[in-house]
Amino acid sequence: MKHALSLKIGPASFRIGSAWRQPVEALARLYADYPTPVDEVADFTVRLEPAGLFRRWFRPSIYITGDHGLADAAPMSLAHGLLAAEMGMNLQMALGWRRHLLLHASSVEKDGRALVMTGESGSGKSTLAAQLGERGWRLMGDEFALLDLATGAVFPFPRLVSLKNGAIDVLAAEASPARMGPLLAGTAKGDIRHLIPRSEAVGRMGEGALPALLLFPRFGHEADIRTVGQGEVFMRLTQASTNYVALGEPGFAALTPFVKNVPARAIDFPSGDDAVALVERLWEELA
Amino acid sequence: MSARLLVRALRDPDGVTALDARGWNDLIAMARAERLIGTLALRIEDRPVPEAVRPILSDARLEAEREARQALWEADRAAEALAGLDVPVVLLKGTAYAAAGLRAGQGRFIGDLDILVPREAIGQVEHALLRAGWEWVKDDPYDDAYYRQWMHELPPMIHAGRDRMIDVHHTVLPLTARQTPDAGAMIAEAVPITNELYMLSPEDRVCHAAAHLLADGDLAGGLRNLWDIHCLFDEVDADALKARAARHGLAAHVGQARRLAAALYGEGARLTVWDRIVAARLLARDGWGRERRKLLRFAFYLRSHWLRMPLAMLARHLFTKWRKGHRPA
Amino acid sequence: MPRRYCQDSPDAIASCVLEDMVLLYHRPSGQTHMVISPVPEILATLEEGAALTAGEVHVELTRLYDPGPAEEAVPQVEAHLAELTTLGLVRIA
Repeated sequence: MKHALSLKIGPASFRIGSAWRQPVEALARLYADYPTPVDEVADFTVRLEPAGLFRRWFRPSIYITGDHGLADAAPMSLAHGLLAAEMGMNLQMALGWRRHLLLHASSVEKDGRALVMTGESGSGKSTLAAQLGERGWRLMGDEFALLDLATGAVFPFPRLVSLKNGAIDVLAAEASPARMGPLLAGTAKGDIRHLIPRSEAVGRMGEGALPALLLFPRFGHEADIRTVGQGEVFMRLTQASTNYVALGEPGFAALTPFVKNVPARAIDFPSGDDAVALVERLWEELA
Repeated sequence: MSARLLVRALRDPDGVTALDARGWNDLIAMARAERLIGTLALRIEDRPVPEAVRPILSDARLEAEREARQALWEADRAAEALAGLDVPVVLLKGTAYAAAGLRAGQGRFIGDLDILVPREAIGQVEHALLRAGWEWVKDDPYDDAYYRQWMHELPPMIHAGRDRMIDVHHTVLPLTARQTPDAGAMIAEAVPITNELYMLSPEDRVCHAAAHLLADGDLAGGLRNLWDIHCLFDEVDADALKARAARHGLAAHVGQARRLAAALYGEGARLTVWDRIVAARLLARDGWGRERRKLLRFAFYLRSHWLRMPLAMLARHLFTKWRKGHRPA
Repeated sequence: MPRRYCQDSPDAIASCVLEDMVLLYHRPSGQTHMVISPVPEILATLEEGAALTAGEVHVELTRLYDPGPAEEAVPQVEAHLAELTTLGLVRIA
């Protein structure tokens, strides 16, 4: 493949090949302060390929694939190449990572313990984690939380934070402009800008923390806190995990202590500031 | 670049210790694309490899073990569902190899469950599976009729609760193919694995694998099927195989399979021109995991349709598919 | 002849008791099941490898708690056992 780049994010390394220069250049710029993979042998290969015979040049269109792919993946325009690369890496992790239990969740760390937040798209988990990351917490990840199969600790996957629509302005106000990526307008999920995690978060990407609180956030509702029963927690976490089934018994053995030992609350909030306040309060109380 | 790097590593795993980082990246991507990474990991065993490679190989080994467990459970469930019918249920391909602990099953990524049953029993089998929770996958009446009338299997079924597919065969090649292997004889000679499940005899296993690879399909994933065949040859009696292959009209295919397996994975062999073309198609993979040799692959895709049906029927079939918006890769 | 049921195999199931339900990991199938009483208790009666009818299971259950009068409870136990058999956690002996 004409253009290539290697990246390491948390415990996983990626070899990204692209038919076009632009996505690789954009990635290299935004990931400039991240370490390079050991021995340069990558855990996963991602490929950004032309989505048809002439689509390398004519209305360039990217088909995202790699070691793991989805046959019905919709192609993306070259303008959104950075997003395509991110999706390619997500796909490899979601379908191929086996060294941790993978939760579709954001996570932040404070005082050696981890807060894990999980919910559907639009729940606010990514934005909230990013905001906490600007207010004294260490961001561990906005998309994937990695649960250690032996120790139960949560490990970071601090990729570029993917901010959508309203969240862009919220974080742009809190983070320095040098850490904001280019605006990708009109994607399938609206406008997107990436936020580079703070250098401390990047520097400490190898450090995990035992989980002390699990939250199910819901943005855009009147403030509320509800306890969540263990059965419901288990069910929601297996739904939020891309590899629970694939891991077999080690997955069961890792998830059950998490469910039994980590206090869980569902929180609703009308705004980011309200959310941060709720989080700090619950952390005081329960973590 | 071709998949020769992968083939060499499987044939002679000592060679991998000389690979540099780029070589490893190429090898791993190829092995994954050909679904041979589990097998590769087992071949490499505990030879020294770079630190970053070790977890990749151990992940692959664990994945293959897990797949084998799932596949055997699926076979168990099918056996349960069909227990009352007094019909021999013969496991085929990867599930059979895993169930019997064969070398061909080790490290292997197993796909759907494939079983062979007598043609007369196909109706009962279909009903028993539907009663036990399997459902049809395709809803298209054209495809459904096509499967029933011309193919060697029921339309695909999937178990709703477990999300796993089963393919129920009553012969080994499509009814319209040029060879007609004797499915009845295969079932008659099948060997028991458990109380309820059987597998083909060692010679029939090779015949089936060779037919599946060379007389049906477009050779996609062929390196893995050829590795199976290479392993299966260990267990056969050469004369018995010859006789059996002749009985099934598969002598040419078995002969070609033997030459290709020896050339790629074994001690070497003299290949015919046609062998070399097939080998080129099998090796059409690069170090990024991409399929190469588009025209050659397209030619084999056309051949796969031609194998399954006489020309007039082919034209009608492709026309119908085109009308519905299907296009070849 | 009433059916006799037995466990799938010894060590087939790993369990975890939560506040509001019991999780069962079935090793041969790799499936996790979320169950509530009396399912875990029913499975416990089969733990020693015995092959029991629904009626016999009911008798065992009465040692632990009061499952109600036999005419209603035994068919319910039978229904549970049938479902467990479909899932593969239990086999017909």
